[in-house]
Amino acid sequence: MKKSLSIIHAEHRALAAMLNGLRQLVDGIAKGRIKPDFGLFRKMIAYIDKVPEKVHHPKEDQYLFARLRLRCPEAVPVIERLEAEHRIGDARIRALEAALEAYEQRGPAGFAGFQAAVVEYIDAEWRHMNAEEHEIFPLAERDLQADDWAAIDAAFLANDNPWSGPAGEYEQLFSKIVNIAPAPVGLGPG
Amino acid sequence: MSNMLLEAKELHTYYGASHILHGIDFHIRQGEGIALMGRNGMGKTTLIKSMLGIVRPRHGRILVRGDDFTRAPTYRTVQRGIAYVPEGRGIFPNLSVRENLQMAARAGVDGQREWTFDRVMATFPRLGERINNGGWQLSGGEQQMLTIGRALMTNPDLLILDEATEGLAPLIALEIWRIVKEIRKTGIATMIVDKNHSAVTSICDRAMILVKGEVVFDGSSEQVREDPGLIQKHLGV
Repeated sequence: MKKSLSIIHAEHRALAAMLNGLRQLVDGIAKGRIKPDFGLFRKMIAYIDKVPEKVHHPKEDQYLFARLRLRCPEAVPVIERLEAEHRIGDARIRALEAALEAYEQRGPAGFAGFQAAVVEYIDAEWRHMNAEEHEIFPLAERDLQADDWAAIDAAFLANDNPWSGPAGEYEQLFSKIVNIAPAPVGLGPG
Repeated sequence: MSNMLLEAKELHTYYGASHILHGIDFHIRQGEGIALMGRNGMGKTTLIKSMLGIVRPRHGRILVRGDDFTRAPTYRTVQRGIAYVPEGRGIFPNLSVRENLQMAARAGVDGQREWTFDRVMATFPRLGERINNGGWQLSGGEQQMLTIGRALMTNPDLLILDEATEGLAPLIALEIWRIVKEIRKTGIATMIVDKNHSAVTSICDRAMILVKGEVVFDGSSEQVREDPGLIQKHLGV
């Protein structure tokens, strides 16, 4: 696998870990096993907003998708669909935040709405990442040329810490989430 | 002066009549990071245990910093700056977090004391919140942090991690990899066994693949990352 694709893959795994944690916490609340920690949820959503939405997706659009669009007409419909999903990413995060706020204000009566928003967000992210890895990656490996990869690698290789952002700026946020999320999701009190 | 920390030459290890390691050559230098990969039962843990004297090889030699340690007891091998974080962690359940850490504290081979109690606390802030809890009261993730912290308290030159993220939630596993990356930056050589090939090859410069007790690949991590066929063929992923 090309270096940049392997970094995209690692960034997907980091996002998947956060989404998996979010899902487990919501499931735990639904089953009455844990109490909601709204501060933790806010941090997790902030992480999802900052790292994948602000760092990861723009790189895909500007480098991988832009180059592949020129080299592979077959990929264009998929790229257009994925770019459209990137464009509504911010609105989807705001919807998640709004659902969390409603839950915090309304108490248990607001949980179902938040749970539905979390499930919807996570399912959409899984579909999105799967499309990139199973539809885009093979076409990219088949059709992109050496100079394309050089440009794409240069953009992605700057990030060797996929879970903490290119300059490690989100490392503390990530660690904070792991340290306060209740076990077994994180290291906090279960 | 050689910068070789640990070497195995033509190592053959048996469990009873079962021949597990078939003439393995291995070496790790100061500051180097090696990902030791292979399916379950291919001899990874046996290789580690053979080099540390936990399991006795029937043939071959083990050198620690160039000296023959083939028949040395384990305590002498680890006193030469090697710290082992075993699969299953092995913390002392009846000791507190503080005691687990303090009992391991010692200077490194060259007298270095860079990894102090305070530095371990700063690296693993969660342990600070659990400092007076017994080992048995810790979650799996906390136990793993404690095991790595305890290993660092010995101020090692080589840290061996065997399945450090086994059974842990993905978020905790990522946090452990983040911390191991930080440890690598301090110049401690690291040998890592883990099923997450992508993570270990991103942390280590070198990779070694074992199949049925033999080395089938020894090269750069980059080669492994760029050749998915290699992983597919030998690791079935």
